[in-house]
Amino acid sequence: MTWLPDSAPGAEPLDRVFGLRPNLYEDFQRWSALFWEEGVLDPRILELCRLRVAQLHGCESELRIRHRPAIEAGLSEAKIAALQRASSDPAFSEVERACLAFSELFVADPNAITDEDARRVTEPLGPEGTVALVQALALFDGFARFRLMLDVEAPAEERVVVSAPGSAETALD
Amino acid sequence: MPRIRPPKTDSADPVQRSALAHQPALLAAFTRLYGTLWSHGVLDLATKEMARLRNARVTDCRFCRSVRFAGARDEGLSEALVEEIRDGYEEGPLTDRQKVVLRYTDAFLKTPGDADPALREAMLAHFSSEEIVELTAAIALFMGFSKIAVSLGQVPESMPVTVMPTPDR
Repeated sequence: MTWLPDSAPGAEPLDRVFGLRPNLYEDFQRWSALFWEEGVLDPRILELCRLRVAQLHGCESELRIRHRPAIEAGLSEAKIAALQRASSDPAFSEVERACLAFSELFVADPNAITDEDARRVTEPLGPEGTVALVQALALFDGFARFRLMLDVEAPAEERVVVSAPGSAETALD
Repeated sequence: MPRIRPPKTDSADPVQRSALAHQPALLAAFTRLYGTLWSHGVLDLATKEMARLRNARVTDCRFCRSVRFAGARDEGLSEALVEEIRDGYEEGPLTDRQKVVLRYTDAFLKTPGDADPALREAMLAHFSSEEIVELTAAIALFMGFSKIAVSLGQVPESMPVTVMPTPDR
């Protein structure tokens, strides 16, 4: 539970914290929802990278969330469960592995990303996909840390499917 | 060396001229968010600028380190004060409030999952809940932008200090 003495109205824990700055939260939600729109980047890659970033931070409130576009595109819980061994698991494609490796370096030390690490991402994704990926990683990394710093609670349900942060839709089985 | 060539544009804005312009809708939404953060917030500009420059130093983003936002300068954040945002700032002449901001920024960047009751108490002594949320979101965006710049290829080793207009939407 957050250590802030005040809270905003809202259904989700993030609403009650970030909602204290309503105009900022509104613009944040608009920006973060765009990544899940069709044609920006494969939502399965986005979701895998988001969850890997959350794992690296130990961010339980991010780990409980799933995004509907990724599930509808076929991302399974079995694959999510295998995320930590993605580099050797044949269920993961080359591009997924490259994006996950890039994500890990992005979180730990972006100065350690080599030209070869970058090439493994830029070649399959192209400039548009790569720019979408790095912006998404900035969002995932930055706001997993935001949740941790402010002790934003995890959603009450085990897994919540949302289309954008703060807009819970359905609890999964 | 840039890893992605920016698209052609007539814009003079360095961000609009960057590789981020390959995703114009994302860039427009980010620009609006960043403008709201800087120009429609509850926290003073000099405090946000101190956090931004501390992040630039820790994340080692040469572009971010070279930029100054005009509004923070107008509020008194001189180059002499910027010099004090170095490692060892705890021993320097910054005020308690400024040191708490830098300590909070460092915690965000290095140990975000380690709850520090003393730091939280110090934050609440100097800032409202609304200001703390805004500062935390600000550091998230500063860090994210720096990491984007670094991961897409750094700017040259030496860049002159450049004063830019305070972002607005």
